[in-house]
Amino acid sequence: MTSPRLEPWEVFRQEKDGAPMQHGGSVMAPDRELATHYARELFGRRQESVRLWVVKRADIVDLADQDLLQPPLDRSFKKPGGYVMRDKLAAARVVSGQSKPKARSK
Amino acid sequence: MSVAAVPGVAVGELLRSMADDEFVIGFSDSEWTGIAPQLEEDVAISSLAQDEIGHAAALYALLGELTGEDPDAIAYDREPVAYRHCRLLDHRRGDWAMTIARRFIYDTADGVRLEALAGGSWAPLADLVGKLVREERYHRMHASVWLDRLACGGDEARSRLLAALTTLGPDAATVFSPLPDEAALIEAGILASPMPELETRWRTAIGPTFATLDLPMPPPARDLAHGRLDHGEAFAWLWHEFNTVRASEPGVTW
Repeated sequence: MTSPRLEPWEVFRQEKDGAPMQHGGSVMAPDRELATHYARELFGRRQESVRLWVVKRADIVDLADQDLLQPPLDRSFKKPGGYVMRDKLAAARVVSGQSKPKARSK
Repeated sequence: MSVAAVPGVAVGELLRSMADDEFVIGFSDSEWTGIAPQLEEDVAISSLAQDEIGHAAALYALLGELTGEDPDAIAYDREPVAYRHCRLLDHRRGDWAMTIARRFIYDTADGVRLEALAGGSWAPLADLVGKLVREERYHRMHASVWLDRLACGGDEARSRLLAALTTLGPDAATVFSPLPDEAALIEAGILASPMPELETRWRTAIGPTFATLDLPMPPPARDLAHGRLDHGEAFAWLWHEFNTVRASEPGVTW
């Protein structure tokens, strides 16, 4: 039997409850179980994470097609720069009788 | 229960045996740093080894409070003959299969021992054990994952694992060597059950894993009464290794 092939797994980590998941780095592992162990050791052993996501790199959809992401023609009309949303929202609130929402809690 | 009511000598022997177990397996496994089978595993086994040394430090600190000794002095300044770790840990590091077999045996046995101490009547130890239990869970997961892979990973991996179990088997149950004045610990409600009962519990716990992987169960330990004595040549070597730095400049603050 040949030894199992190592492949890259990407590790995302959350520093504290409510924080976004951020890419931490990657580990090489032969399977899901050991990938989880190594992710724990490399990105959690110093109590720097409260959650990890471990994803086989091959399972990630990699979209880097510049025709799709950076199309060549002018796209400025898709950006909201021409609108001052604050005033429009304030006016809409007056019409609907709703107050300004509080900052969202975690 | 107040500290005065604690059977000090018996608790001291218990703490010393546990601390020495953790200290010795920690140092043995740290021998893999830099040469583990793979970079990620190198980090993992080194981190595990550090955990064990950390557990030893906490247990030596508790022992020091009891005896008035300096925890570092207990850890380092004894002659090899005064250490009370179990004979399971008196083997050279060997190959990866040897390390995994020993870790699996020790971690599962230690788990049973910790269970018997959790909720004990002496709060300082019961509190510490509560924390150790949470950390040791990960250690058992790591050992199990690797035991599976070696047992089912092809001829060479399996034959190396079987060789390791043959070497370690007769010493496996020495984790449950009787402690001096064990009855006093049970009487005081510090240890829930005597060691032979814990050994039975451990065998029941690991039985299904050994059966599933078609591995031979460890035989009864030879000379259990001396299971934590007479450490031999492999430990003499390790003792010298872990003492080298401290012995190079006695009394200095690092």
